[in-house]
Amino acid sequence: MKKLLILLVAVAWSSSSCEKDDICDSATSTTPRMAIDFYDITNPSLAKNVTNLVIVGEGLETGLRFNGISKILIPLKTTTDITKYRFILNYGSTDTSIINEDNLEFHYARSNFFISRACGFKSIFILDSENPYTLTDAAEPDQMWIQNITLVQPNILTEDETHLKIYF
Amino acid sequence: MKHTSKYIFSIVLVLVSLLLHAQDKKTDTTIIKTSRYGVRVGIDLFKLSRAFYEKDYKGIEIVGDYRLTKKYFLAGEIGNEDKTVNDDRLNFTTKGTYFKAGFDYNLYENWLDMENLVYVGLRYGVSTFSQRLNSYSIYNRNDYFNESNTIVSGEKYSGLSAQWFEVVAGVNAKVIDNFYVGFSFRFNKLMSNKKPSNFDNLYIPGFNRTYDGDFGVGFNYTVSYFLPIYKKKTTLQVRKKK
Repeated sequence: MKKLLILLVAVAWSSSSCEKDDICDSATSTTPRMAIDFYDITNPSLAKNVTNLVIVGEGLETGLRFNGISKILIPLKTTTDITKYRFILNYGSTDTSIINEDNLEFHYARSNFFISRACGFKSIFILDSENPYTLTDAAEPDQMWIQNITLVQPNILTEDETHLKIYF
Repeated sequence: MKHTSKYIFSIVLVLVSLLLHAQDKKTDTTIIKTSRYGVRVGIDLFKLSRAFYEKDYKGIEIVGDYRLTKKYFLAGEIGNEDKTVNDDRLNFTTKGTYFKAGFDYNLYENWLDMENLVYVGLRYGVSTFSQRLNSYSIYNRNDYFNESNTIVSGEKYSGLSAQWFEVVAGVNAKVIDNFYVGFSFRFNKLMSNKKPSNFDNLYIPGFNRTYDGDFGVGFNYTVSYFLPIYKKKTTLQVRKKK
């Protein structure tokens, strides 16, 4: 009888301590963002910080703001194969002559991968080999601030590597 | 302190000697106890009743055992389950059949013609099943575009299988004639698991829900009928007063 009791307690304990996969762990790699590094056009090996760069997704009012950093992460749409952004440099500056807007759109294919019960699936993106991105000037032309773009890694699987380099 | 323990010891000694003295007045007689051997077959009411209050579940389990020796029983279960799991991020349906075989060891010392069981046991379980992923959602920590991420899938994964060990603890009591009512708890440890690509076996028929590790738990509530095949007589030494 004693043995039985010990066993029952062990079963009850083990069943109550197994709930760990109900919450998606923040350390789990989920849908990645695209990692963009900024470089100096005059010295292409030198990373260059952006000042008040605001990027706004098509159809959205609020943008993502980056300042004083040379590496940014931007989300891609998981419901369509194209994401359009407005890249506005020196956003909100009192000197309106240095505010510059360029349009950048990304073309890709998506696949969904199973992560776990708690996290569900994640999307990964493969940039189109023929036409991975399109760079155009703003609707009101103001010259382009982005001078050159190179594609480093077309397969966006994690946020740990650089996918795109922008020179300005 | 030392004095008190000495005192207690002497009292115990006196009591023991009295007890021994009392036993001297008894003589041994033998009575014959008949044990019945046979097959017990039953059904799990827990699985059957779940279908009434859980609309996404259908299941049946037939249980059986055969008495090998005084204490050991060959035991097994066969069942079928159809379960739809609706989680926050996943909705899937698992259907399949399972078979478990092993033994039970009766810990209960039955008095005279009682035939009850309080047992522990071990099983090896095998399950073959299929899964259908009904819908899922994409986990996006940076949902800047505020997208609705639930995707209707309908993808079917078939030819899946799993094998596991089960530690069983349960009770089976004779209520009337050859009818028994019992319940058991099971603690399962997965041994092998054939998973589909790009999905997981999150529910295994017979094993139940799988967690991050390889453990599962189970429960059944059974009503069974005992079919006696043969009887064995054992003599018992019983002490009787003159």
